[in-house]
Amino acid sequence: MRSGEVLEQPVDSALRHALGWLVLGNAVGVYLSCLLLFPALQAGPLAYGRWVPVHLNVQLYGWTSLPLVAWLFSIYQVDGGKARPWAAAAVWAWTAALVLGVLHWLGGVTSGKIFLDWKGGALWGFVAAQALLWGVLAAAWKERSRDWNTTRRFGTLAGLAGLALVPVSLVFAASPAVYPPVDRTTGGPTGSSLLGSTLVVVGLMLMLPRVAGMCHGDVKSRGIWMFFAISWLVFGVTEWLGGTHFQALQIGAMLFLLPWVWLLPREWSRYDWPDGSGVWRVAVFAWWGLLVLSGLLMYLPGVLDRMKFTQGLVAHSHLAMAGFTSSFGALLAVVLTGRRIGGARSVVAWHAAALAMVVTLALMGWREGAEQSWMLDRPPWREWGLAARVVFGIVMWWASAIWWWERSK
Amino acid sequence: MRAALAIAGVYGCFLIFAQFSFVELIRAQGIAADMEKALLGAMAVAGIAAGFVTAWRGVSVKLAKLALMVVALMAGVSPLFTGPMAFLAVAMVTGAALGVTTVSLSALLPAWCGVAWVGLGTGIGYAACNLPVVFQQQAATQAWIGAGFAVAGACAMPGWAEWKHAEKTRVFSPWAAVALFTALVWMDSAAFFIIQHSGEMKSATWGAALLWRNAVLHLAFALAAGYWLARGGARSLPGTAWVVLAVAALAVNHVASRGIAGWFYPAAVSLYSTALVAWPGWFSGSAGPKAAGWRAAWLFAIAGWFGSANGIGMAETLQRVPPAFVATAGAVVLMTMVLSVWRRWRVAIAVAAVALAAWIGGKQDVPTVSDAAERGRRVYVSEGCIHCHSQYVRPGSTDEEIWGPARNVADVLVEQPVLIGNRRQGPDLQNTGARRSEAWLKQHFINPRAFAPDSPMPSYAHLFEDGRGDDLVRYLRERGVDATADLIKRAAEWQPAVNDRSNDSPALYARHCAICHGPEGIGNGPLAGKFPTPPANLAKGPFVYSTPGPDLETRIARIIRFGIPGTAMAGHETMTDAQVNALVEEVIRLRSGDGLDRP
Repeated sequence: MRSGEVLEQPVDSALRHALGWLVLGNAVGVYLSCLLLFPALQAGPLAYGRWVPVHLNVQLYGWTSLPLVAWLFSIYQVDGGKARPWAAAAVWAWTAALVLGVLHWLGGVTSGKIFLDWKGGALWGFVAAQALLWGVLAAAWKERSRDWNTTRRFGTLAGLAGLALVPVSLVFAASPAVYPPVDRTTGGPTGSSLLGSTLVVVGLMLMLPRVAGMCHGDVKSRGIWMFFAISWLVFGVTEWLGGTHFQALQIGAMLFLLPWVWLLPREWSRYDWPDGSGVWRVAVFAWWGLLVLSGLLMYLPGVLDRMKFTQGLVAHSHLAMAGFTSSFGALLAVVLTGRRIGGARSVVAWHAAALAMVVTLALMGWREGAEQSWMLDRPPWREWGLAARVVFGIVMWWASAIWWWERSK
Repeated sequence: MRAALAIAGVYGCFLIFAQFSFVELIRAQGIAADMEKALLGAMAVAGIAAGFVTAWRGVSVKLAKLALMVVALMAGVSPLFTGPMAFLAVAMVTGAALGVTTVSLSALLPAWCGVAWVGLGTGIGYAACNLPVVFQQQAATQAWIGAGFAVAGACAMPGWAEWKHAEKTRVFSPWAAVALFTALVWMDSAAFFIIQHSGEMKSATWGAALLWRNAVLHLAFALAAGYWLARGGARSLPGTAWVVLAVAALAVNHVASRGIAGWFYPAAVSLYSTALVAWPGWFSGSAGPKAAGWRAAWLFAIAGWFGSANGIGMAETLQRVPPAFVATAGAVVLMTMVLSVWRRWRVAIAVAAVALAAWIGGKQDVPTVSDAAERGRRVYVSEGCIHCHSQYVRPGSTDEEIWGPARNVADVLVEQPVLIGNRRQGPDLQNTGARRSEAWLKQHFINPRAFAPDSPMPSYAHLFEDGRGDDLVRYLRERGVDATADLIKRAAEWQPAVNDRSNDSPALYARHCAICHGPEGIGNGPLAGKFPTPPANLAKGPFVYSTPGPDLETRIARIIRFGIPGTAMAGHETMTDAQVNALVEEVIRLRSGDGLDRP
């Protein structure tokens, strides 16, 4: 059977599942946009607030996470080893955990934590799925590591140790008793928190070409790693000191992201990338640059005060997820499998729609932040903005459906 | 094309005669409900038995045509019969003939056409039955139309031929397919029963104006299903059908969402019905008509007859389609799909391990609480209110002017979970208790658009069916109630910053005030009776909170902007000063008696 053959390669399987979740997440996103325009479309007790975690979490733990799972399979060379059949099972376990999550969120079982919405049975199901994945990686390491050089052997062993902490961290972080530091002037994250979470992404981007085994030129990378370490140091100090977005310390922490707009493309340019990945690398850095610059701009006093709690932050989330993260996931797919994601039409449509949506939401956010009368009046600019969001969402859904369909062949 | 027309004829006759008009004819005879069930049971038993006999003897075109003509005969004469025994005979003969026809047709189809044509045939069959000229006829006429469908199907049926596809394709094992389609038929039948037996929902899904829509949906989605199967989507199609059917099944439970069911139900039925017909011949791994006949017999016996009866029985007992039932059907569909893939036992073990961990982890007892506000807080979290409402007034910002005083951040962070939120589709709720009464909150939950005509907030009337709504109201009423004094102080100090009155005062009044105070301001708005104290008569008084005297306009403006704490009079915190001024003007005009002359 065709899908049986696909499942033989866990990397392919994980990517196919990821795209499937993207299609579902986008469909829910379109439905949510429609609900804002036409609340009567609500399906009984399944109101807007119950669908939002479905949209957020399938994008985060499905579309964004499963390409990283595929990457882990590649790093530990699961595809060619004895653990391969169990790896396909682990992917299904991950999907089953997400299905459980969807049922929980729709059923009103939620932790109340927006990006760590795991509670009760769904939480433990997801932990079990992660444990199974870890077992597969450990088995692959045991089988393969003797053929690896020392650096890789111990590096991957350290990776396993770190990955073992992920389910534990999830249980801890999803607890309602835990909450990160807050900028008291906004109720949102501090500049240092934003720096820290973005540095994790920077780390992944630094690792990708190296771990994927691409050849690179004879250019030293020591400087970039030193700056990476300094950035983490800045994060530690500013996080410890705390503060608000009115203070130079926290703005300064955010400024440490700025050099990465230039450093990362420069670093990646030293490697030989596989054919077909160029378009996604361009997309990754275009969105990355926008993400960092707009993030920095939106953190500034006056701007954050106006944009906080508005569609402007939704715009930034879409910039991060639909733009940058999606491009990174697609790039991973191309690098890991050598197969392209989508044709020119669907790729252009995705990015154009995502950009249009981000711009629309940002403009709406700027307008919303000016004064609050839109809550009572429902002015035309807001109606048109929401309608445009539906249209752009449909285009993105269509593009993702094409990608999933092509990967499923 | 002839094969597609044969499918359409069989489906059309089955739906309009066996499922609809025959039941109506029984009822028209005044036959008791128990006897009706016995007659339909006899039809099912005869159908199952005949299906297995057909599989055992081997399918043939002649037998299929003959059986379909027998169905036509039964449909044609049934309106003329009277009495239970005559209907028992019709039921048994019709059931047996349909059993022969459906099993034969399903096994013979690969000899006649490609799988995409199955979609066309299914779509035509469903669409034809939904045409107003067919659907809205009397039962007897429908039976005769059904007879016509059967005759047309028999005439269109091609002759004997060899199977066209030599390659054996097995997408689901026989038992997996039986489980999968049983789950789907089960859900379909339950949703169908609810729609049929609720006049309101029936009119919302099969109302006269909607029949054409249903016909088009059936045809379009059946065509899409045929194309989907032809493109190799045999595994994903049933799963997709379940998703669509789940939305429809959940939507039929509530009046508010019945419109959604009307769109999703025909789509889902067409999707899975096409797959149901195609599976024995194309996707069961059968090498020829003989094996396909056996698989069709089992599939139609269990999924078709048994699944349908159980779905209807459950819906009849519960009068709704419980979410747990939909989830169970989904679990069956998911497991079937999981088990159908390569290395199935490992996948099954992995998924089972996740399910087991979830089951054990989910068994943790959630302590019950006696405090209504705490229960309400749980409802707030559960309903995802956090995704539209913040509970954080930013200190020193304009938030304080609109939503009341800020709280100490340490007090905010001590809550579990912290409910700051990150998005405002609607107001901040930190100080709701100081700004809104319980009665106002309840009415707003029930019908938000009564207060703000274009509000994006959906109705939460369903929360008040089991007390959750009252708990939620209590929780919100206690949020920031200690800020009332501060609110009163701020209101006393506030006055509009601009003198602009360019807004359309009557329109503003009609939009924001008339719902309580009435179109003429005499306190008789549509919601007036919903509050413990009737809304003020703005025309004649008594003017308890706006006694005549100096600064009357400013005092009225403050009431409009901030409401009257402790009463149901809510503030309009997000109004612009110009809008407030315009409303002041309108209220003053009502007071002077001008409003009473308004047409």
